[in-house]
Amino acid sequence: MDPLPLARLQFATTTSIHFLFVLVTLGLVTLLVYLQTAAFVTRKPVYERMVRFWGSIYLINYVLGIATGIVMEFQFGLNWSGLSRYVGNVFGAPIAMETLLAFFLESTLLGMWIFGWHRFRRGAHLALLYGVAITAYVSAFFIMVANAWLQHPVGYEVRDGVAHLTDFTALLANPTFTIAIGHVVSAALLTGGMVLAGISAWLLLRRSPDYELLRKSLWIGLVTVTCAGVPLLGFGFAQFGAVGAVQPTKFGDDAAKAQAVADFTARFGPGDYLPPAYANVSLGFMILIGFTLAWAFVLLPLFYRDWIVRLKFPLVLVVLALPLPFLAAILGWLTREGGRQPWAAYGLLKVDDAVSPISGGVMLASFLGFTALLLTLAVANWVLIAKRAARGTADPALGRSLETVSDADEHRPEPVLAR
Amino acid sequence: MDLVWYALLGLFFAAYLVLGGYDYGVGLLLSATGGDRERRAALTAVGPFFLGNEVWLVAALGILFGAFPRLEGELLSGLYPAVVVALTGVVLVTVAVQLRGRPARAVARARWDHAVVAGSALAALGWGALLGGLLQGVPLDAAGHVGGIGQLATPFVAATAITLVTLVAVQGATFLSLRMPKEQAPQRAALVNRLVPVALGAVAVATLLGLLSGDVRAAVNAWALVPVLLIVVVLGAARAFAQRRPGWAFAASSLALVAPVLVVGLGQYPAALVSTVDPAATLTVAEAAAAPSTLRLLSWLALPLVPVLIGFQAMSWWVFRGRIDGKAPVYW
Repeated sequence: MDPLPLARLQFATTTSIHFLFVLVTLGLVTLLVYLQTAAFVTRKPVYERMVRFWGSIYLINYVLGIATGIVMEFQFGLNWSGLSRYVGNVFGAPIAMETLLAFFLESTLLGMWIFGWHRFRRGAHLALLYGVAITAYVSAFFIMVANAWLQHPVGYEVRDGVAHLTDFTALLANPTFTIAIGHVVSAALLTGGMVLAGISAWLLLRRSPDYELLRKSLWIGLVTVTCAGVPLLGFGFAQFGAVGAVQPTKFGDDAAKAQAVADFTARFGPGDYLPPAYANVSLGFMILIGFTLAWAFVLLPLFYRDWIVRLKFPLVLVVLALPLPFLAAILGWLTREGGRQPWAAYGLLKVDDAVSPISGGVMLASFLGFTALLLTLAVANWVLIAKRAARGTADPALGRSLETVSDADEHRPEPVLAR
Repeated sequence: MDLVWYALLGLFFAAYLVLGGYDYGVGLLLSATGGDRERRAALTAVGPFFLGNEVWLVAALGILFGAFPRLEGELLSGLYPAVVVALTGVVLVTVAVQLRGRPARAVARARWDHAVVAGSALAALGWGALLGGLLQGVPLDAAGHVGGIGQLATPFVAATAITLVTLVAVQGATFLSLRMPKEQAPQRAALVNRLVPVALGAVAVATLLGLLSGDVRAAVNAWALVPVLLIVVVLGAARAFAQRRPGWAFAASSLALVAPVLVVGLGQYPAALVSTVDPAATLTVAEAAAAPSTLRLLSWLALPLVPVLIGFQAMSWWVFRGRIDGKAPVYW
């Protein structure tokens, strides 16, 4: 059995699952910073309750982001040893920076945030969350630098068949990085807003009692979706020009494509240098979803006299729209990654040369095992998020102490109130 | 320069074994802990540190990838089964510890707790097998490819895998005797006293099998015996201190988890990955390191950063120091 398609499928599966969770992590942490800052400044209890409720959902989601991230990082060495062998000098640097500069601090600070609820002064506790958010963005920054380098290698020279780093600043000015990071961050913000809006709308439909919190969350969520949608579309469409210039086989015109294929054939021998059709199909559907979500602004005037809640059907629409940003994110990555095939590093290293010399059987076992494990954990995680949300906003586990926890607490039914 | 980075890699991985070690140790000991409240209390002892512990593994891997890209590719793909087992364990523990407190039903929590126990065992077995696999060398050919995965199926690797499980269990026991409420101290110390002889036995068997194995004798020099001796001494110290000085016992069992990294580092230097089939194909630390331009860039970054990272971790240890009481924030 050929290990290459299995290795590619495994990476695609792991990355896709990973991205579904980090997207929410990045978006929600930004909104949590807003909420906890508001709680700190205004001292209104509703903001404190919002931080605890949305914080507990953020934390459940965060778990799978780490778990899949660790698997991904190991996969470079396990399945793609050619990548570290030929381009590791350049590609490894931003990955190392991400782990040291970002992830290490993010998790350390988050641990203190979770357990520091009654230990730190309010200002220090807020500062911890700022640290978590900043490092989350630094993390996204370096991962996108690394990914953009594979899309369009710059700042290196090849000596003895191995790429050497010559200019790190070129990696930061890479056109496939600068525009993509804006796109990804906007997508994360939009998704975070959609999670707030979707879960709030669902709970409002279920007549959950904390009306004040849910209405406020719905408003913040929909405003975020509306605001983030503009740069999302802008950075998205701006990529056609910028990426087309450096990846002609992805977004170039027919003449540029033919020239690139001729060039690759001359340098690497004959082969199929055009990306698979699914990359373009994904692109079309992603744009369709983008335009659909751009209509979120029409719901904002309905907050006048709470019509959005009284009419009910707008809430149903919001709930139905919840999966859309996730779907669009996967489609976007299929476009970006599928569109650069057959290259592991565009124009430099083919996927055939990057895959580890592992037998197909071992690769298959690893693919099936990890995919089953991660999918099971992902589904379990979403179920837990849904159940946590369904229990309503009363008494989230965040910020409790062991003294006050009793079995009765855990089973306390939510009071049913008619509005 | 590459020696400094190799030492830094060793430091981060050793820190992971020490800190992640008590995560997994406490995880293993959950199997002998009845009742949701007791298991929850044990995890609360790990509580604030848990997220900050496994980051050392991720950072070690980042250093491996950034500073030793060739070693990363050949080491991980060469010891594939060990890495996969360890990774499965790490993922299970990460997820299960953080999610076990989310369901309201005790049955669902017990199920996640089983995943914590299984994950802890797998992680310790996997890393133990990885260290054992390193010590006996891999069939690395001149092109830098490692053929096959069968080389891991030896008694020596099995022994090192089990040894790490026992060391981690001791570490979990000393950690709990340091962190759990004072009134539990006698039975916590008794557990340490029971586990230490088991760990010593495992170390003896692994050492004996290593001395008998031709591959290990060829790959490792005599310096490796110094850290092995260290393990024996500190395990004895952990047992001696268990009753009166739980802090010293924890420090001793932590040293016992630093020592395995020293065994590999001292025992094989200047080699980083020893080839069993072709001595010329053995990868030295200098050969495995990234190009000077990359190392220079990473050094400028690491010089100010590593103290900051350790500083924030130390802040976390300081803020949440001491024994847990009824008022400790509970989340897991």
